[in-house]
Order: sequence, then structure tokens, then C-alpha cells
Amino acid sequence: MLISLNWIKDFVNLPEVNIHDLANTFTMKTAEVEEVKKVNSHLEVIRVVEITEIAKHPEADKLNLVTFTDGSNTARVVCGAPNVKVGLKVPYAKIGVTLPGGFTLEPKKIRGVLSEGMLCSASELGLGDGASGLMELSNDAPLGENLKTHLNINSDTLIDVDNKSLTHRPDLWGHFGLAREFSAIYETPLNDKFSESWKNNLESKFNSDPNPINLKVQPESSCLGFWGLSVDNITVSESPQWMVDRLEAVGLRSINNIVDISNYVMIELGLPLHIYDRDLINGNELKIHLAKENEKFTTLDEMERTLLDTDTVISDNDKALVLAGVMGGANSGVQDNSKNIFIEVANWKAEEVRKTSTRLGLRTDSSTRFEKSLDLNLCYRTLLRTLDLVLELCPDAKVVGKPVYDGSTINNEKPRIKTSSAYINNILGLELESGKIKSILESLDFEVTGSNDFEVKVPTYRATKDIEGQHDLAEEIGRIVGYDTIPIKSPFLGVNPVRLTPYKEMERKIQDFMSLHAKSLEVMSYPLIGKKLLKKASWPNLNEKLSLINSLSVDQDRMRPSLVPNFLEMASVNTKNFSDFSFFEWGRVYNDFEDERNVLGLAFFSKTSSSFVNLLNTSEKFLNFLGLNYQLATKENSRKPCSLIPQKWKGLHPHEYMDIAIRGKTLGAAFSVHPIVLRDFKIKGHLSILMLDLTDFCKSQVQKAHKYNPISKFPSSQFDCTVLVPKSMHASETLKVTKKLKNKDLESAKIVKSFDLNDEHNAVTLRFNFSNSNETLSAEVIKSYEEKVVDELAQAGFNLKV
Amino acid sequence: MLDKIESLWTEFQKEISSLEKQADVLNLKAKYIGKKGLLSEIMKGLRDASVEEKKQIGPKSNEVKNIIEASIQDSLKNIQIKEINEKLDKERIDFSLRDSNMDQGLISGGIHPTHQIQRKIEDIFLSMGFEVLDGPHIETEHYNFEALNIPETHPARDMQDTFWFQDKKHLLRTHTSTIQIRGMEERKPPFAFVGPGKVFRCERTDATHETCFHQLEGMMVGENINTGHLIYFMKTLLKEIFQKDMEVRLRPGYFPFVEPGFELDIRWKKPDPKDEEAKHSGWLELLPCGMVHPNVLKAGGVDPDKYTGFAFGLGLDRLVMVNYKIDDIRYLHKGDLRFNSQFSHF
Repeated sequence: MLISLNWIKDFVNLPEVNIHDLANTFTMKTAEVEEVKKVNSHLEVIRVVEITEIAKHPEADKLNLVTFTDGSNTARVVCGAPNVKVGLKVPYAKIGVTLPGGFTLEPKKIRGVLSEGMLCSASELGLGDGASGLMELSNDAPLGENLKTHLNINSDTLIDVDNKSLTHRPDLWGHFGLAREFSAIYETPLNDKFSESWKNNLESKFNSDPNPINLKVQPESSCLGFWGLSVDNITVSESPQWMVDRLEAVGLRSINNIVDISNYVMIELGLPLHIYDRDLINGNELKIHLAKENEKFTTLDEMERTLLDTDTVISDNDKALVLAGVMGGANSGVQDNSKNIFIEVANWKAEEVRKTSTRLGLRTDSSTRFEKSLDLNLCYRTLLRTLDLVLELCPDAKVVGKPVYDGSTINNEKPRIKTSSAYINNILGLELESGKIKSILESLDFEVTGSNDFEVKVPTYRATKDIEGQHDLAEEIGRIVGYDTIPIKSPFLGVNPVRLTPYKEMERKIQDFMSLHAKSLEVMSYPLIGKKLLKKASWPNLNEKLSLINSLSVDQDRMRPSLVPNFLEMASVNTKNFSDFSFFEWGRVYNDFEDERNVLGLAFFSKTSSSFVNLLNTSEKFLNFLGLNYQLATKENSRKPCSLIPQKWKGLHPHEYMDIAIRGKTLGAAFSVHPIVLRDFKIKGHLSILMLDLTDFCKSQVQKAHKYNPISKFPSSQFDCTVLVPKSMHASETLKVTKKLKNKDLESAKIVKSFDLNDEHNAVTLRFNFSNSNETLSAEVIKSYEEKVVDELAQAGFNLKV
Repeated sequence: MLDKIESLWTEFQKEISSLEKQADVLNLKAKYIGKKGLLSEIMKGLRDASVEEKKQIGPKSNEVKNIIEASIQDSLKNIQIKEINEKLDKERIDFSLRDSNMDQGLISGGIHPTHQIQRKIEDIFLSMGFEVLDGPHIETEHYNFEALNIPETHPARDMQDTFWFQDKKHLLRTHTSTIQIRGMEERKPPFAFVGPGKVFRCERTDATHETCFHQLEGMMVGENINTGHLIYFMKTLLKEIFQKDMEVRLRPGYFPFVEPGFELDIRWKKPDPKDEEAKHSGWLELLPCGMVHPNVLKAGGVDPDKYTGFAFGLGLDRLVMVNYKIDDIRYLHKGDLRFNSQFSHF
């Protein structure tokens, strides 16, 4: 919002400070200033000169060399204007001057002749549209005088305040309210032009004529209160220059004096109003009521709007005239020939105005203000100020009757808040004197009684929702004193141990293990996903339940049911650049409301060969690192399917799959992706993925337990044998005999190697270690153990290779 | 006799220098200092020597015997080394074929840059006694708005474009401030925690805007917690992040869940002292913060008459982007390892 400092100066004497300091002070104490702008300040350096000599440019027919004087010095410029003549007085901009277009004059040769600045046209100075030739000044214009003084033009300084930082301050949407801030900030008195005598003077214009328009407010409507006043015999004309200047300065276009008055009062006092051509009102009553469902209404901008039965309109006998709080209609505004007017100053429920304007996409100066919650008490003053200006600009105008009102009972009682210097100092961390606190509050129009424990009366225009309790008063004190005066201190709360939550600890273990041991890069994928990607991944669950109403794109319109589709997509991106890579994500998958699972995903990709064994090795090491006991099972041996991977998903490799059970629950799976799905993602190579749901272990700490066993003093004995294993079987099947051995002295049984023997069999070499912690095993005992091993292997179908 | 011993040593040296086999060396040892070796032969003549000579010959003979023995051992060791080296020559490996010279895809491991910064900040707060919490992404209106003093009619709901689910009851959290309420519900003052996590806004994406990004929320509640304490922690945080004292300023800011509410800016560029206009510029808006609104304390089950507290929020992605001069926020969620590998540990 643009603030004119000239306008502010109507109400408060601003100190002589640099404008940038002033803007910064406002930022630090009230609201953020985004920009400082100067209006017409260039006119202070443009001077009146008189042309003394004109000569043809030697190189160009259409250009002249014009010599002129400012009374003491002469200079010469190259000039192409048609209206040059000796004796003419014109404005001159010397080298270094910046004109309104942002163009700064530099020493420049035009066709070989140096031009010392520029003689200006009105449009070049931002003083009108006429581009034809130099601006001709009056003959008696004093030479050397600056144009601002000569033309008696106001220069102004504007500060542009971020609207968002005024969201909670309805009182700052007009210059008078802003002036009060400056008065408090600079401890300089506020000049309240709207005094009792001003009020009495205007009220004296009221008379006993019958009111031409009566009001009827429907209680269900959004109207909080509605003031109206009829004025006859106005003259619609152009507005005076001072009004045009001010409106233009804050970015409004001048229309005519009556429309301009309504805008002027809104910008000054912060309360929007509407002025009707009374002769266009059918009948003698305005009804403020809820619109009909699907009622059509054409707003001032000539757009037809469809209303709902929650919108409020203002109607005469046969039609709606105004969309309450938002915009007037195309049919009731003041025209060039309007004679008699009706002034509306009303207040509306903020949330209703907001709903209507948001739904219609119609954000106006009016709706923006009303949705901040304005104060009903300010309506009457606004009405008087409007009348004030109407009478000033239309001296023949005459009030008909007196103001009419309908709506809720006006309550001008000021809310009271109890607080104390102790509270305010405590929350701010300051040690202010009570007197200081009191004077700051008073400068902001609060009434304060008491010396340390205060009772504070809140001005009604601050109480619509901004100031509710003593914490709000603390903010008033803090910002005016300046937050930079607060001493910076560490609190002392007692010293207690703090440790990472189980969730965080898990996160860090994953990140550390996966990056350092698994040599993988952490990635993040979007928790939002679309049907397209799910279908591309052939994912059976589309997670419709967790879809959004207002998604921005069909590619991100629901929560992901799995990390797998994202993983396929990311793998696809990276196969273009790397022959081998691995990545992991610690992300959430969303099963239902209140059911977000913390899932680890790890992907290994290799263009040349399967990384599945590598992935299993990493997975097992990771589970050991976490200290979790786990069981791996192939698809055939799986007890319960893993919930992370739908069994009907066709992306599963027929063989390379193992699920992972922890504490009796199947919480994850490691698998390779079926080439049929890889093909859909244009992935050429081998992609193996681990998915592991670790939610259960994010709730309580997993303790990794280490147990010490005394190291045996007796040697162990090793026994190797090689058996035939059918190719359809995993070599590890042979190790299942260890259970049948039931031998306490069997220390370990492992595979040494497996090699391709013939078409049917692999030859698998096994190694068994026997030892006893109390004695050295005798040769006979060892022999019997070995025979038992061979025996059991044979019984299981694994014959010794001979 | 002494001469004989001397010349024996000279002879030995000549002979041993040409030997390359272990057996030859052992034979040479027997030849010179074996029981029937040359030295023993010479020593047989000791009987005929004078007393004076005997006194010299004894030690001399021992000395020569010792140095021959040592020379033999040296020679044997050298022969072994030579044999081993010949074997090693055959087993030679090419250690230039290591990862850094090989094209074998991407071998790299590391934490996502956002999580690196997040962990750093978590650790800073952990060291100052703050816990680290998180909460669900799918939230209710209660946690995302009402408990945070943002009633339905509040214009602040316009400021945050919220993703809503079909049931019209659930939404994606628009800020990590939801963690404030959940954190308070489970604790009794005094307490302090931070809450980093993902948040979601219904905003068009471009190089600086994402629908999904990361914030870090922080809160401290206790008796007599005041604005000075808030500034203390913010300054400490910034000092730890940037490893130098940062100039900060606190100015009024409006957020429904705090009162008083502030924007904390950091001085990002040193202004030119001669330039009036730039004197107040160079600030970067970084941390919205404030004293927790009494309604929010109440919603979290904390008595606002007894306790006060502060809260703050920090955009993590923005910090990552500023820190590494990243030009497009969308890389953070793309999973393109050409991006992620630039922040790897190795």
C-alpha cells in the first residue's frame, strides 16, 4: 500500500529526518516498507530559461542549435522541437538530471555538436500528454526559478508498505491511522482534525426535511451497521488539483469529484464507502439482504457475477445495486449529470466479505479493508468527512434531512485489559519504568489507569480483533521502544540430559550406514504422486483414498502408497548418466490417515550384472548394525507376505526375492525388478531394491546387545567335504543338515565355494568346525562327527562328490 | 699366524661375494668356520706360537669367526629376499586400476544436502538442550490451524495455500508449527525442542518455489522465558551455522500463533556507509519468530498465566540454496545423482 507523506503531514509533524531513515524506522516499529518513491522531485532542479539565439545545425536540417540563458549563465543544446523561437521561456534540464522516465542526461554529441542538457516538453517532465514541442512557460516566468516553485507543484514522498504486514492492523489502512503511528514513534502530537467542533459544524447542516431514503437491514445479512445520508444539488465536475495529486500519488485514477471523494475518504480514514446517484434508486427504501441463490449481478467493471444466498446485496425496489463490501453495480453509480446523491457508509462482517470476494476472485480496495475487521464506530465520522468534502467541492450542495442508520446497536464501550509493568517487562525481557509504558500506550490512543498494575481501555478500532489481551499490549510497547533495545540473555532452565528420539536415531543410523558402508547417495522423492507414474510402475494400489481435492497437477494428486514407483523413476533418470549407482531414501509411505510408515528404500543398479547378492549382503549387515534379529525367506518359504510389496505386482523378479521378517512380522523385502517393468522405464540393466518398514523401531530405542563368551583354550577341528547339489536348489539348503546333527560341539558350518559341475549339479564345498570348550576332541570323536555329517547330507539327498 | 688369519678373511670375502645360492653359502660356511674348516686348520698351529702371539691370536680368531658368521647370515637373508622378490615380480599388481581411475559407474556415498544442514542445526540445538521431534505429514485442521490460533475465518488461512484431502477433514501440514502442539501435549514445562520436517503448500513450482519443502520449528517454554532469550538462541544458532557473529535485527511481523511476533533478518550484505539509500538495505528475511500466543499455549495444555515461551521457524531449503548457491530448488527432490553426488562424503 502506498502512503503519501504529504497526506500524513496533514495530521502530524514529521521530524526532519532522511526519508530512508524514516522508512526504516517504520519497518522496525510498525510494518515493512518495501520501497521509497519520490514524486515530482525532479522539478526542483528543472529551471526556467529564455531562448536567446537559434542557429541551424550544420549536419542536420531538422535540428537547431539553441542558445539560452537562465539569467546568469548561457548554454547551448541541440534541439529538434518545432516551436523554438527567440524570446520563448522554456524548462531546461541540465546534465545529470534524471527525468521521470528514469532517463539521466549525460554529455552527448548530436551529429557532432555537443548538447549541454535538454530543453523539455511537458510530457518529458511528467506534466501532461502533449508531446508537440517544448513546454511554453509564461512570459513573466522569472529566469532561473525552479519549475516546482514556478508552477506551484507539490512534490511528495511515498512509502510502499507490504500489505501482508498490515493483515492484523485494520486501523492502518488509512492515512489518519498511519499518522497516529508516526505520532507515537516520533513522540510528536497527533493533529486530530476530526474534533468535536468539526463534528458540530457539520451536524449543523442537518435539517428536519424528510429523509428521501430509508434503510432496512436484514439481520441474517453480513451487515453490521449502515449509515446513509442524502445530499441534493451537487455538481459533478473535475476534482481540484490537490485531490487529483493525492489520489494519483497513491495509485488511484481521478474520475470526477464525487467518485474521487469516496476514494479520498477511504484512503484517508481507512473505511470504504459508496455514493449512489439517488435518482437511479427506484423507490425510497434500500434493503440490505442476502442475495438469491444463483442471482446474476453486473458489477461496476461490467462483469456479470453469479451470487449465492450467502452473499449480501443492497437493493432498491426492483434490483440489486451494490455487492456489499466488495463492489458497486453498473447501474447506480454517480454519472456526469448526477444531481442528487446518497452516501452509504456501512460495515460488514469480515469473514463474509472475504468469502464473497475470494469466491468471485474480486479483490477490491473495499473488500481488502472490510476483511480486516473494521470498527463500526468509525462509520459516522467517515460519513461526516464525506459530507465535509462534498460541501467543500460542491458549495451549492444541500443536505436533505439527517443521517439514517439501521443495523446492530452501536457499542462504543472500550474493552478493558488488565496488565502490569511486571508482565510486560517479563515477556519482553526489559526493565521499563511504568511511566514509559503508560505514555507509549497513551500515544497509541489507549487509556491507562493505575501506576504499576494497569487497567487499559482499548480504542474500539484496535479491538475488532487485533488487541485482545495483555500479550498484545506487550507487542505495542516492544515495537515502539524498539526490539533492538532488548538485552540478549541465555535463560537458565536447569541442566537435563537430552538424547535423540528413537526416530531420529534411526534416521541417523540409516544415513550413516547407507552413505558410508553401502556407498549410496541419499535422495528425496516427492511424497505426492500421480496415477500416471503408479500405472507406469504397474503398481496395483492407486491410493485413491489419500487423494487431494485441490492438487496442482495430476502428477501430484495423491500420497504415495510406496517408494518403489519413485525409485523406478529416479533409477530411470540416472541410467542415462551412470553405468552403476546406488541410492537410498528414508521416506514415508502413506497407507491411511494416521498411518504413515517410515520406510527405508535402497536401490543398487548395475548395467552389466545383478547386484542382488550385494544388496542382500548390505541388507543383512545393516540389520546387524541396528541390532535386529531377522529371518530372510525366499518367496516359497515366506510365512507372511510383505505389506510393502503387493504380491500381485508384476515387477517382482521370479527368483531374486527375499522377504525380511523381524520379531515375527514381515517388514521388508529385497528383490530385483522384473525386466518387463524396467522396460517401461527404459532402464537397461539390473535394478535391485530393498524396502524396509522401520516404523516399529522408531518408537522405542533398539539396543544392540553384545555378549561375551570366553575364548576356548582347546583347538578346533576343521572338516571339509564337497557334495552334489541340484542346480534348482540354493547351496544353502545343504546347511540345513546342521540342525539335524544336534551336535553341541559344532561351532560353525559354512559354504566354502560352489562350482558348476555339470548340467544337473553344482559341486558345493562345505566346511564344518568342531570344538569343545572343556577338552581337546579326540581323533575318534572327530571321526564320528564327520561320518555323521556325511550321513546326514546323504540322507538329505546331497551325495559326496567322488 | 696372524697374517694367515687376516688373509683367510680376505679370501672369504672374495669367495662369498660371488655366491647366489643358499647351499653354496652354507658350504662356504663349513669350508671356513666348520669344525674341519680352514680357521680350525690354522688354529692347530697355535701350540707352536709364543705366549705373546697366543694373547693376540685368540681374540683375533674369534673376531674373524664372528664376522664371517655375520657375513654368512647377511648373505643368506639377501638370497631369501632376492628369491621372494622374484616371486613378487611375478605377482605384480597394477594398483593404478583403482576406483578413482576407473569407469565403473558412480561410487559415492552421502547424505542429502538438506539433511546435512538439518542435522547440523539439530546438533546445534541438541547441544543446547533441545529435543528433536517430528509429527505426521497428514494433519487435521486442529493441529494445523485451530490450535495455532488460526480460526477458519482468519485471513491468515489465505496466506497458506493448503492441500486438502477428499474427506475435507485432513490436510497436508503447511508448516512444522503442528509439531509445537504435538510437542507441548506430551510435555510439562520447562521444555525445549526443535521440529524439522517436510511441509506442503499448494503453490505453483518454479526455481524458488516447491509444493514440498522443509522447515525447522523450534520452541522453548518455561517460567519467565522472554524475548531476550529468543534473540539469544537465534543469534547463537546463526553464529554456529555461519561460524561468525551475524548482525541481526528484529522487527514486527504478524503470525497468528505468536504475540508479539517478529521477523528476524540477518545482515547479508555490508552497506556502503556513504549511500543513504543502501544504509538500511542488505537484510535477508530469515526467521519468523515470536513469543508463543497464550491461545497456542492453552491448546498445547500449558497454563499461559504461569508459563511463557518463544517459537521460531526456519526454511531449510532456502538455507541450503543460499549456502551452496543452488539455482533451482527442484533439484532437491529430483533424485538426479549428478546433483546429489556433489554433496557426497566421498
